[in-house]
Amino acid sequence: MTTPNRAWGNLTLLGKVMVPLLLLLLVVGPILTILLATVVGPWLVGVLSSNLGIVRFVVAIAGILLFSIPAAFIIIYMELKVIAFMNLRIGPDRVGPGGALHSLVAGLKVLTKEDFTPTGADSLVFTWAPVIVFLATVMTLLVIPFGPGLVGQELNIGILYVFAVGGMSVVGLLLAGWSSFNKYSLLGGLRAAAQMVSYEIPLALSVVGVVLLAGTMNVYEIAEAQQGWFTDWFVFQQPLGALILFIAVTAEANRTPFDMAEADSEIVAGFATEYSGMRFGFLFFAEYVNVFIISALLTTLFFGAWNAPVDINSVLALAGLSPITVALDPGSLGIGLVILLATVPLVLTLVFATPFYLARSSRPAWQALLLGFVVFNLVGFGALGLLAYISWPWLAGLIWFFLKSFLFVYVFVWMRGTFPRARIDQLMGFAWKWLLPAALLNLFVTAAAIIVVKSL
Amino acid sequence: MTTTDGPGQHPSADDPRIMLDDQIGQFEAVPPYPPRTEREAEFYSLRDGEMFVNMGPQHPSTHGVLRIVLKISGEQVVDLDPVLGYLHRGVEKLCENSDYHHVISQVDPLEYVSSLFMEWAPVMAFEKLLDVEVPRRAEYIRVLTGELLRVSSHALYQGWMALDLGGLTPILYGFIERDEIVEMLAAITGQRMLFNYFRIGGVNGDLNHEFMSRLGDWMSRATSQVEANIGLLNENEIFVRRMRDMGRLDGETAVRMGTSGPNLRAAGVPFDVRRAHPYSVYPELEFEIPTRGHVGGGDSLDRYLLRQDEVRQSLRIIDQCLHNMPDGPIMARLPRLLRPRPGRAWAAVEAPRGLYGTYVISDGTDQPFRMKIHDPSFVNLQLVGLLMRNSLLADTMACMASLDPVMGGIDK
Amino acid sequence: MSFIPGIGLVRGMGLTLRRFFAPKATIRWPEEKADVAPKFRGRLQLLYDEYGTLKCETCFQCAQACPIECIDMGGVDTKGRFHVHWGPSETYGERREESALRRSGRPVADPAFERFEVIDLAALDEILEAHDHDPKGLLAILEETQAAYGYLQVAALKHISRMTGAWYATIYGTASSYRHLRFEPPAVETAAPAGEGQRVEEAGYRAALDAALGYGGGRPS
Repeated sequence: MTTPNRAWGNLTLLGKVMVPLLLLLLVVGPILTILLATVVGPWLVGVLSSNLGIVRFVVAIAGILLFSIPAAFIIIYMELKVIAFMNLRIGPDRVGPGGALHSLVAGLKVLTKEDFTPTGADSLVFTWAPVIVFLATVMTLLVIPFGPGLVGQELNIGILYVFAVGGMSVVGLLLAGWSSFNKYSLLGGLRAAAQMVSYEIPLALSVVGVVLLAGTMNVYEIAEAQQGWFTDWFVFQQPLGALILFIAVTAEANRTPFDMAEADSEIVAGFATEYSGMRFGFLFFAEYVNVFIISALLTTLFFGAWNAPVDINSVLALAGLSPITVALDPGSLGIGLVILLATVPLVLTLVFATPFYLARSSRPAWQALLLGFVVFNLVGFGALGLLAYISWPWLAGLIWFFLKSFLFVYVFVWMRGTFPRARIDQLMGFAWKWLLPAALLNLFVTAAAIIVVKSL
Repeated sequence: MTTTDGPGQHPSADDPRIMLDDQIGQFEAVPPYPPRTEREAEFYSLRDGEMFVNMGPQHPSTHGVLRIVLKISGEQVVDLDPVLGYLHRGVEKLCENSDYHHVISQVDPLEYVSSLFMEWAPVMAFEKLLDVEVPRRAEYIRVLTGELLRVSSHALYQGWMALDLGGLTPILYGFIERDEIVEMLAAITGQRMLFNYFRIGGVNGDLNHEFMSRLGDWMSRATSQVEANIGLLNENEIFVRRMRDMGRLDGETAVRMGTSGPNLRAAGVPFDVRRAHPYSVYPELEFEIPTRGHVGGGDSLDRYLLRQDEVRQSLRIIDQCLHNMPDGPIMARLPRLLRPRPGRAWAAVEAPRGLYGTYVISDGTDQPFRMKIHDPSFVNLQLVGLLMRNSLLADTMACMASLDPVMGGIDK
Repeated sequence: MSFIPGIGLVRGMGLTLRRFFAPKATIRWPEEKADVAPKFRGRLQLLYDEYGTLKCETCFQCAQACPIECIDMGGVDTKGRFHVHWGPSETYGERREESALRRSGRPVADPAFERFEVIDLAALDEILEAHDHDPKGLLAILEETQAAYGYLQVAALKHISRMTGAWYATIYGTASSYRHLRFEPPAVETAAPAGEGQRVEEAGYRAALDAALGYGGGRPS
């Protein structure tokens, strides 16, 4: 028996199939690569450039999916840390600086845990329910504008889309609760369904006022309509609407004090009781992405979206200055850029080091240089940041948007650290007896006011 | 739904029949034997639309290892059946098999939240049997440490109460309060939880500098701190709306059910062992017996607020103890081996959860012949059947928490 | 409850916000140690008095009373190398037995501490010397001891324990977990091989069976 024969004999059936395929790949691979580069490549570029809308959509979806994970991590960390601080504890502080990587490690832990399906569970539904919840949640992000021009997809029925798709997660929760074959899960799923269905109505009604004021259901255009000073934000024209939306989204996202669906002192963990591993991770992530979404929604609809509270240009105009328009285009400097990059750090470090060196005679030169370098870095990055802020409106918008959104995330976490949980009947009574009439009142008053203002 | 397989045939996950629809009842909380009493038969038969939910012993919010089988219809609790005994360790028999000094450490873990009171009643009973005069300084130290522990127990209660309603923060504030007090007591007793401090005829150690400095430090800010912690919830609309009318208990029922302690006083009955059957140096101290409640009796909110009143009174007592603390010995002179004359004695103290009593029979040997422990948590827990029925599922645990049971004392 | 709805909620949130910035109560063990009261008796260690002398009188009462031998008196030998027992280890056994007897009212059999014969330890000393009294080579020491003495006697194990500083329980446990180490003398070699007598009887039975079945000359193979 020759050596190749023996090697062939040692292979498993799978190996015997794989070896010829591998050989084929060695031959076909290069040919295909060349073909792709010469023929398919240009064609593909042509197709993509002629279908820019689709490309943009796919990129936006990928970006949003990628964004949702770190956002959830940050909010989880924030919740741990903020509630700990309010409890006079320190919270996570072992992994990373100040425990900042804690939620990342928790995510890895969730990945490595056993994915367990209980006896009696409807395994197909049990597996797909978290996916539905997660997708419904993340898809909502698609229409939320992060800054001027930074929107996944501009829909002319954006608000409707947000509520419709966001409301889809209740299907996932119900399925999760039902398929777990656990009474606590069932109760949790039913509670979630009842709660979300009743809060959808005030939620939608509270926004109608804004829609009437802005004259559009496009979220991006609503955001644009709030440009100018902070008094132009819709919260000052619609305080009741903002309050109702705030309460309704709290209930919609199952946050304290309306977290009956996963009340741990009553029904263990609600619909998530039987979940473990990454399936639980999906539910958990969806919950925290939801927190970001409701904060972003509040920011976008009522708190001026990406707009800064102060209209800088009008302030400058008041002071008799023309609006600053700096175009940050380093390329225009040409070869001068290289010289600038080479000399400026050195010169400025020396310049900033001089006062330190002169101020105290006992300070050695290297310390002064180090301090000068640090100061140079601070000043340099500050100046660059300012320049970028002025010249790129999308960056400024992004900064303001995240600042406001995370302020609301903080408020939600703060509420969780303070309040006990409401009871299910009180919650439903509140929705139907108070929120719904208030939302209707708000709607009528707004409509009447618009008619009056227009007729004047 | 009852299983007809008879005793000994426990349902197992390997059973191939388990997935059949008519076998799904195997996952119910039904015991695997035929009903033993009429009540059991009635309880474990379901009407249409009802189901069992097993709360405990591993439910995240049961206090200790209490198991409650709830029969619910939707969110409404139709009926319930508490199942006890998961923490039973036969402490009465343990006490009867150990000599009089050892009893103190045996009864310590009964109510692990306020274990000094668990030592106090047996020690008082033994002192009655032996006819010992306890030095006044020892009595004052007992009252001082006991009231400190009452404050810590009530601080923890308020946290638990909020935790069962979903509030995350008050339990931590309660534990911070308790930690300070417990560290303080550790300075004189040497332990943080199971103190083992009272002795027959006195206490184990005198007040020391460490304790006094910690106590002074704490007393200077105790009032403001306790009030601030209370302020987190007692005006909170969500909290008040939930607690109001939850588990309403009128005074007559409370007396009939043998309730004692804050639960009884919150129903409007001013019974406190410290005043009703004075012991130790309580007659010399000035304090009030706060009561709450009105015509319809007291609800959970009354029980919650009453404990805050008690904390205020306890702080008053501590202050008086520190001012009136006499000098002198802390232990009576006693032989090392105690052999009381044959006889019987009963002693009761006002523990944070109510009347805690001990009945001892001596046969002249160095061990008690019979020792019966009356624990307030056990008696108070009887009320769950009255209070929880027809409430909502969300209120069951909170309702039980408002009675403040500690399972160590219940299962003994 | 106040007249303005929601004021209680806001006050609660004000308190948590104040506490958010307040100093924290956590003790970050192990970087920080808790402030333990001097009288705290939860810690398991030997205490020193104010002159720096060990308070322990080495009266062995604690080790004697300990029912599961979790208290063990020991220290570091003069060269600072090994953990050695201060007291003769066999006294533990006797005391332990006494204590168990007193506690339970019946003697507790423990073959490890039964009275043992005194043996000549010269050969064992050589073996230990060769291994530098290092308990890390315990298996080799035990194997060589068995080669020298035929089996592992209690006296030899005790001596190893005393000289190396390893606990008797460790040595006994090591020895008992290996099949080739034995505690009894090996079986006598001169006895007849097992089954010899049985085979004689078996032949008789077979002959009778053959006769009954009618196989005259021999069985069909």
